[in-house]
Amino acid sequence: MPRLFYQLIFIGTALLGMAGCERSEPPVFRFNSVEWVKQEKTHLSDDEHFPEAYKTEIGTIMTALFGTPDDPKFPFFLGDDDPAHDIISIENLRMAAGPTRVDKRERASGLYREHCAHCHGITGNGAGDTAASLEPYPRDFRLGKFKFKSTPLRSPPTDHDLTEILVNGIPGSAMPSFRTLPEDQIQSLVEYVKYLTMRGQFERFLLGELAALDGEPLIDLSLVDKPSGEEPSEDDIEEFEDQMYTVIGEGLQERIIARWLRPERKVTKIEAAPPEFDMQHQEHAQFVQQGRELFFAKGNCMQCHGDTGIGDGQLNNFDDWTNDWIKSADVDPGDPASYSDFSAVGALPPRPVKPRNLTRHYYRGGDHPDDLYLRLRNGIEGTPMPASTAMTSDEIWAVVAYVRAMPYLDSKKNGSVKPVNKKQVMR
Amino acid sequence: MKRVFFCTLLFVLCVSMSSVSSAQDGWGNLTGQIVISGDVPENQPEAVKDNPDKAVCLVDGKVPLDDGVVVNDKNQLRDVYVMMYTGRGADTPDTYHPSYEAQKAVKLTLDNDKCRFVPKASFARPGQTLILKNSDNVGHNCRIATMEHEHNVNIVKNAASEIVLGEESDKIPGEVKCDIHQWMDAIILIRDNPYVSISDKDGKFKIENIPAGDWKFQFWHKKGGYLKTIEVKGYEPDRRGTIEATIKSGETLDLGTLSLPGAALTK
Repeated sequence: MPRLFYQLIFIGTALLGMAGCERSEPPVFRFNSVEWVKQEKTHLSDDEHFPEAYKTEIGTIMTALFGTPDDPKFPFFLGDDDPAHDIISIENLRMAAGPTRVDKRERASGLYREHCAHCHGITGNGAGDTAASLEPYPRDFRLGKFKFKSTPLRSPPTDHDLTEILVNGIPGSAMPSFRTLPEDQIQSLVEYVKYLTMRGQFERFLLGELAALDGEPLIDLSLVDKPSGEEPSEDDIEEFEDQMYTVIGEGLQERIIARWLRPERKVTKIEAAPPEFDMQHQEHAQFVQQGRELFFAKGNCMQCHGDTGIGDGQLNNFDDWTNDWIKSADVDPGDPASYSDFSAVGALPPRPVKPRNLTRHYYRGGDHPDDLYLRLRNGIEGTPMPASTAMTSDEIWAVVAYVRAMPYLDSKKNGSVKPVNKKQVMR
Repeated sequence: MKRVFFCTLLFVLCVSMSSVSSAQDGWGNLTGQIVISGDVPENQPEAVKDNPDKAVCLVDGKVPLDDGVVVNDKNQLRDVYVMMYTGRGADTPDTYHPSYEAQKAVKLTLDNDKCRFVPKASFARPGQTLILKNSDNVGHNCRIATMEHEHNVNIVKNAASEIVLGEESDKIPGEVKCDIHQWMDAIILIRDNPYVSISDKDGKFKIENIPAGDWKFQFWHKKGGYLKTIEVKGYEPDRRGTIEATIKSGETLDLGTLSLPGAALTK
């Protein structure tokens, strides 16, 4: 009897184990199908499609270089000497990757899936389960663009910038604060976000290349590994090296990874604010007034943020993550039928990007005066917000002073309000 | 070290030689003229719609046509980039003619005039200064997005802003846009290899002082991408719109009239 009992338990456990395996098939990185459809529409005529085999080729290259969500890899081409060790450590990636668990020594791993994946998606494509119901949509990391950072456009954020976002969250969006996580866990998530970003950037690069190649393989292994078994000729080897160099050397190493090295060198210097910036200073009111004038003249701010600053100036722009695909031929963001091919592969309905309502005292990229200075000096990547190249640092500080005062001014005095946002003014 | 010294010496020699005379020894030119064959694609009116700045954006009181395909009365095509190919597997010269050194110091102007970028197509070298000018009485922003460069600059009415381009080189031209007036668009190529010519209002192009040798040249247009269907007498352009041409020392290679089927310009 006891024996049978143990046998039953054994069989039961085995079955449960199997069922468990089936249920928790390891998650995979999702192919960038929106980019695929976009490239098809750009390069092919209406009824043409790229062969599915292209997807397999890209998938093979991606997995070889970056691994899987459970087993991340990073292409350290120079081995231990690779400078990329300064920005990514495999230990940190492993802490963030994989299923959520705590080991016997209470070390947590699977942090990304625990904290991030439900919005940003396993792939970092901004298409997690909750994505469609959030406003704004969660960030898709794969474009390599980040809004709130201390570096100019096209320069990646520093670890410190990403840490600030994780620690403070993004007020006015669904992005919460992860202030309670220990420092090492935050750092592991920062590195995992960079990993997903570089991975996504490279996938987009491959998709762009593939289209331009018109059906030739990206890296033709048969050049050096001939099915007939014969030795490759020198020309074959040269061609193979050339392909490797273009795809991996230029495409990944130079265009993507090298740019992520030492972003600190690109950090924008924040000039000290003049004494009038201090609210206690006797000329502070005049300084705010100067900022107000700049808001309407040299700053050109009212063009998008509206005369009253409630964000009703420019209402029909889209951000870069949306523009990236809605600029394809025949797509009309107001007509879902025109982009059904994109919706079918997961593109979320386009929503116009809203200029910030400056009469509320929350700022997505942080409310420290330095944060506002950086938004004005550099603009906001991925959005229509431009850099105020023509303004001196004192002028920028004046606009910052005015913007910070705006929630406490009577906005209706500043000018007319468009009906679309009247409700917001009457809050 | 020796090598650096030698290169410097060579460079100094070249510069001093060129100042003596515009020596053509070792260098040649490439010219031609591009004409559209068949129907010229029609430009649609710009999508000005009911933009609040409409009054500033009209030309002679009317909404202007898009300037995507610009031809003269002989259907000769403006804004085609003819450029030495620097892409995959390309052979490119190690040194450029010294005359191109001065090009980098020139400040390039990109104007906003009646809600239109002028010029439509431009070429800049890395590190070059761009003057983003606004002749209009409304504010614009100037969003430059190429493969390697990105700027988004606020340009106040009747004023100008300057930016200095970064050091990276692009392979094909990228876009210039204004977010406030979304129909506005221009194109810019930013790269170090200076062997680029943009066809003028008569479809003519000329690349000067190319090192003698065999080089690939590429034809590119915003509305057509790589112009693989362009007809060049004596050459067969490949799928990336490139031909390989031999530049001879002291000579100008004239490709004559290149004809491009209008159907190629539909993007």
